[in-house]
Amino acid sequence: MLASSAGGDPAHLSIRSSAWHPSLGVPRPAMTAHSFALPVIIFTTFWGLIGIAGPWFVPKGPNRGVIITMLVATAVCCYLFWLITILAQLNPLFGPQLKNETIWYVRFLWE
Amino acid sequence: MGSMFRSEEVVLVQLFLPTSAAYTCVSQLGELGLVEFRDLNASVSAFQRRFVGDVRRCEELEKTFLFLQEEVRRAGQVLSRPEGRLPAPPPRDLLRIQEETDRLAQELRDVRGNQQSLQVQLQQLRLHAAVLGQGHSPPLAATHADGPSERIPLLQPPGGPHQDLRVNFVAGAVEPSKAAALERLLWRACRGFLIASFRETERQLEDPVTGEPSTWMTFLISYWGEQIGQKIRKITDCFHCHIFPYAEHEEGRLGALQQVLGETERFLSQVLARVQQLLPPWQVQIRKMKAVYLALNQCSVSATHKCLIAEGWCAARDLPTLRQALQDGSSEAGVSAVVHRIPCRDMPPTLIRTNCFTASFQGIVDAYGVGRYQEVNPAPYTIITFPFLFAVMFGDVGHGLLMFLFALAMVLTENRPAVKSAQNEIWQTFFIGRYLLLLMGLFSVYTGFIYNECFSRATAIFSSGWSVAAMATQSDWSDAFLAQHPLLALDPNVSGVFLGPYPFGIDPIWSLAVNHLSFLNSFKMKMSVILGVTHMTFGVVLGVFNHVHFGQWHRLLLETLPELVFLLGLFGYLVFLIVYKWLQDYAARAASAPSILIHFINMFLFSRSPTNQPLFHGQEAVQSALVILALVTVPVLLLGTPLFLHWRHRSRSQRGPAGRQPDEDKSGILDSSDASVAGWGPDEEKAGCPEDGEEAEFVLSEVLMHQAIHTIEFCLGCISNTASYLRLWALSLAHAQLSEVLWAMVMRSGLGLGRKLGVAAVALVPIFAAFAVLTVAILLVMEGLSAFLHALRLHWVEFQNKFYSGTGYKLSPFTFASEED
Repeated sequence: MLASSAGGDPAHLSIRSSAWHPSLGVPRPAMTAHSFALPVIIFTTFWGLIGIAGPWFVPKGPNRGVIITMLVATAVCCYLFWLITILAQLNPLFGPQLKNETIWYVRFLWE
Repeated sequence: MGSMFRSEEVVLVQLFLPTSAAYTCVSQLGELGLVEFRDLNASVSAFQRRFVGDVRRCEELEKTFLFLQEEVRRAGQVLSRPEGRLPAPPPRDLLRIQEETDRLAQELRDVRGNQQSLQVQLQQLRLHAAVLGQGHSPPLAATHADGPSERIPLLQPPGGPHQDLRVNFVAGAVEPSKAAALERLLWRACRGFLIASFRETERQLEDPVTGEPSTWMTFLISYWGEQIGQKIRKITDCFHCHIFPYAEHEEGRLGALQQVLGETERFLSQVLARVQQLLPPWQVQIRKMKAVYLALNQCSVSATHKCLIAEGWCAARDLPTLRQALQDGSSEAGVSAVVHRIPCRDMPPTLIRTNCFTASFQGIVDAYGVGRYQEVNPAPYTIITFPFLFAVMFGDVGHGLLMFLFALAMVLTENRPAVKSAQNEIWQTFFIGRYLLLLMGLFSVYTGFIYNECFSRATAIFSSGWSVAAMATQSDWSDAFLAQHPLLALDPNVSGVFLGPYPFGIDPIWSLAVNHLSFLNSFKMKMSVILGVTHMTFGVVLGVFNHVHFGQWHRLLLETLPELVFLLGLFGYLVFLIVYKWLQDYAARAASAPSILIHFINMFLFSRSPTNQPLFHGQEAVQSALVILALVTVPVLLLGTPLFLHWRHRSRSQRGPAGRQPDEDKSGILDSSDASVAGWGPDEEKAGCPEDGEEAEFVLSEVLMHQAIHTIEFCLGCISNTASYLRLWALSLAHAQLSEVLWAMVMRSGLGLGRKLGVAAVALVPIFAAFAVLTVAILLVMEGLSAFLHALRLHWVEFQNKFYSGTGYKLSPFTFASEED
């Protein structure tokens, strides 16, 4: 509803924004901080299980070597890719630049 | 490790086949498909070989088969596929098959001929009946009935005793187009001595000569005088008219003829049925027989003429099966066939056994070049890295899911005969690569989640790490302030704004941001470099296995080590800088954060920029050391191996022939590949080595030149290949942008259509159809092919040129299986 109001009338919108907040009454919690250690532990363990422990459980057969290669390669590639992504966002140098409409609704929507 | 790690051991075997059992033995081998025969009669032309007569007989039989097949096809019937196991028939059966085939062919020819001539007669008769059935104008008939005495000829007939005033008729049929010309000519030639009447038939009748139905002009010419009659006959002959005598009994003849024709056709279909039953197995058997004779032609005859000697390549693992097959084949002959290994200095062919899953990946690798004998096979790693690199360029949950489901449908229905035997080439291409598509789709779903893109829309599975509310309250963003500033940026320095990295993938707030490309470009470029350096290092490490296997320990020290130092010292260091900078918090002094690019450039130029802060203490010293180390490795790479080989060659030749024996115990393949130019040499191995081995082959200048090429390729290639991996960034950017544009232009305008209930709902149906079609056509097919191509290039060039030579040839065993389709 807020999104469909295009651009600018401040008075019109200030009525809306002020009407939004008290009308709901339920106090919303502030956004929780994301830890860095927890995802690292979880995903390292997950891909470690697949890549290091998994090969021990592959049944003997003609394809054992290929399956082990596949498990290890998958674990390495996917873990590395995830790790790069989280490391790139660990210490941002700049933040996102948002349009004022976006700010208006995300401010209250993502609380 | 599975047998895909490197090619299997393939040995050269020599087979002694007793002459009487040679045929059965070879046909057994053909059924099993184990041995690739080497042509021992290469100097003999095809016409002088021993079994050329048998081959020719088989070919003639095949020609007759073709004729029979044509006949069956002409009758509109189809030959069924032969069922069951059909071994090649023994040579004595060839005569029987030949006789029966010739008999069938002759019968078919006769019956066909009869049928055709009967058809012609039938059509003639029909035409005749039609002509007779035509009534011509009564006045003409009445005039004729009057008799000649009442008629005054328009022209005086030539006098004489031959005046024949009896009226004669000529009746026949002519094509309507020629009727007018015929009439004119008759008038001009026989003016006054004839009366002609032309009438068109009502029905269409078949032309006896061409068989096409058309309307005919029947004519009735009454004339008097014998000469006139002859003239008329000549004229009608010129015009290819059909002349029919008048007879009473045409009806009966028509019926009898039709009956005979019917019986002929019945007999024909009987013969065709026999052909249909007998032909398919014969075709298979004769094809096998011909293949066996062609294989036998490649064997040489022993001095005593008692047995044939064959040479071939066979996988070492299959030798017991081979022995058993030869035992079985020669059991009736009394003398058993013998097989034993012989040493060979030629490079054996490569054999890698694959199943239906791994076959497509091995196919990709083989398309670039079949691996040399027993070098490391890149295929098992390609099973995962190829779909992964594809997915990095294609990452989108929605598109990946569509691709995965399409491939899954193909995989689950792969055993249905309708699906397997489809003839469409494009479908066949997709079908052969179904496991490839399956993995590509699966990895694309994963990278789509990491890029946080599903049909270009981001999802907030976890809460975002950026708090707009905190920024707004801390910076006092009132509504008036917001109204005046259309764009505002979140500052990570403000407390409470940045709450930590998003735990899985890219934060969803970036999809709402105007400057999302600034962040994503930096992230994707660094990611491409990291993935590229990792992939290439892995390639260099795989080369270690090659050196160890072939016993070339000096190459470990003189090539792999310098290569690794060069690659990791320069580009590994770049990766280290990237990761190090990521781990530091520069938000507080973002404007003066160090630039990795400037540092890297200055590293090579041994200069420094005063405005660029160092990343860590002693960075300059470390960088200088690394560059000097890398520069030192270049001459080691260039001169190490050639000088070592030269020294070894000289020390061996100085030791003399006595000292040569123990060295030649190494297997012949190793030595030849050793001397041939640091392993990159082309075809010296295949051509076979001279008797005194590699000593005479070693030419220092050649080895130096090849090593120089290798060094330049590697060092320059390191830089260019690392940059080449940036296509991972470029294509993923293109895919994301195309996806977003499609959404914004098509779906979003559709979803934003009017507020009246129902307007948007109705309009969305064609709009969604357009969105779906464009998604599949542009984003799935076009982008998919593009990413496939680039991932393939990355594998073939950047990865494989670190360790793979691809100059081998495949083992193509003598088998009937390929001919049975």
